[in-house]
Amino acid sequence: MTRKLRCYAVALGVTVALTLAGCGGSDDGGATSANSKGLEKTTIKVGALPIPDPVSVYIAQAKGFFKEEGLTVEPTPITGGAVAVPMIESGQLDISQTNYVSTFAAVAGGKKIKLVADMYQAGANCFVIMVPGDSPIKTVADLKGKTIFVNNLNNVATLAVETQLKVAGLSKDDVKFAEKPFPEMGNAIKAGQADAGWITEPFITANQSANGFRKLADTITGQTEDLPIAGWMASEEWVQKYPKTLAAFQRAIAKAQQLASSDRKEIEAMLPKYTKIDAKTASVITLGTYPSELNANRLQKVADLMLEYGYLKSPLDVKSVIAAPASSG
Amino acid sequence: MTGARLLRGAAGAAGFFVVGELVIRYGIGDDMDFPPPSTILLETGRLLADPDFLAGVGATLANWALGLLIAICVAVPLGVLLGSLPPVERAIRPVLEFLRPIPSVAIIPLAILLIPVDEMMKVSVIVYASLWPILINTLYGMHDVDPVAKESLRSFGFGPLAVLSRVSVPSAAPFMATGVRIAAGIALVLAVSAELVAGGVAGIGVYVIQAGSGNRMDLMMAATVWAGLFGVAANLVLMAGERRLFHWHRMRTGAQS
Repeated sequence: MTRKLRCYAVALGVTVALTLAGCGGSDDGGATSANSKGLEKTTIKVGALPIPDPVSVYIAQAKGFFKEEGLTVEPTPITGGAVAVPMIESGQLDISQTNYVSTFAAVAGGKKIKLVADMYQAGANCFVIMVPGDSPIKTVADLKGKTIFVNNLNNVATLAVETQLKVAGLSKDDVKFAEKPFPEMGNAIKAGQADAGWITEPFITANQSANGFRKLADTITGQTEDLPIAGWMASEEWVQKYPKTLAAFQRAIAKAQQLASSDRKEIEAMLPKYTKIDAKTASVITLGTYPSELNANRLQKVADLMLEYGYLKSPLDVKSVIAAPASSG
Repeated sequence: MTGARLLRGAAGAAGFFVVGELVIRYGIGDDMDFPPPSTILLETGRLLADPDFLAGVGATLANWALGLLIAICVAVPLGVLLGSLPPVERAIRPVLEFLRPIPSVAIIPLAILLIPVDEMMKVSVIVYASLWPILINTLYGMHDVDPVAKESLRSFGFGPLAVLSRVSVPSAAPFMATGVRIAAGIALVLAVSAELVAGGVAGIGVYVIQAGSGNRMDLMMAATVWAGLFGVAANLVLMAGERRLFHWHRMRTGAQS
């Protein structure tokens, strides 16, 4: 009796397994599927810094743009683009925020990374060089021989400052760059550790009001006007493995970027929810723009500047780094 | 702890608080922008009503407890095994002595690269860091077993396993407990450090990063105060447990109450 039962159980198990396998086969064909959009992966982890740049992922989440695409997105705070690269490589994150200078340097160094969507483009006064109110430094030329704080060396910070030094007839050899996280720059400059700092929001506003700092120069002007800053990246392997998931993500993000760039109120409403920037600060800080299309021509400017200032050894064709959105869903 | 001691401790903390408040408000006023202790303390209280922070506390403490538990389950048996097999211990000792001094925080970037699941990565570095104090203390405890007690049991015809379970392990237990207490502190350091380096969905360290990026030094400090309080609480609980369980040990070694 028991043996007979066991036989039935085995037969039943095999039948179920075969049926499931059959279903799996038809899934690949896209005829019937558990998720109506035929996504290879429906739940993804997306790394983002707790700053205004990646607001689109939180807007898309709040407005249900991901849900419409059949995607469940888990936004995960990260600490920086440098940590995010090993995270997308190991699969801890599916997609992550990155800045373009880091990405192009990493790609030139042999990393298999693809840009999948645009995120943030700097506008006037988004990144400025600041000095204490009573500083004798009045112009960029006065920075000769001085120490300037940047959040990261050999990155967008130093590149942006170098373009302004060039206008003033200086080069990176005329100043000293030192690394300091944005939250600590104000105090450290006041304590005399450096003479100036390359600062972004909300710290521009904070250093003006709490520390009496003044703006020495905008670094998003001239060569760096409308400089693309940050985008979304994934590993090359991930892009090849999950094309439909990627396309769904790209559509939802593009929609959110459009909303963000058309209505600043949408950004202001979202900032206090995923950053510690309160509503009052959110309404006064300087913000860049949120392009909804990943445009190779625009991004090429970043790679060209990197080449000109020695951040890249040889020219980089940005088109090769972009995972173009599939036009058909 | 007597009332007088408690009072003195409280007076010390209050004095420190007042001096900090005065120095920050009047001493360094213009040179530095730093929240005074009263502001930090207020925010420390307010954090209890912040669901983001509470979720973070839950995540951090869960990683901490799980990491510590796994470390205990690995290090105690390993310590007992090595302690009772001196030749094996001598063979493995050089490897242990090489691995032990590597600062555990330094292995976090490696862990990020190797372990694809965020929580698992964090628990792994916690386990790695808290393994050593438990293992080393267990080994010391096993070395410290009274040889006369072991010999007596043997001469009454007890086998090696009985000697181990009746003499060696109980005698080494207070050392293991001390190891666990030291490891608990280290595990908390790693739990928060891993979040500071790697980020994550929630955690005390993640909260500190968010507060820092939003220019909220008061919230950064308040979250840090909580991390410190958890460390103190864990230490007190474990110390009380040790005192209760191993009263006989303190009598023997003549430790002060």
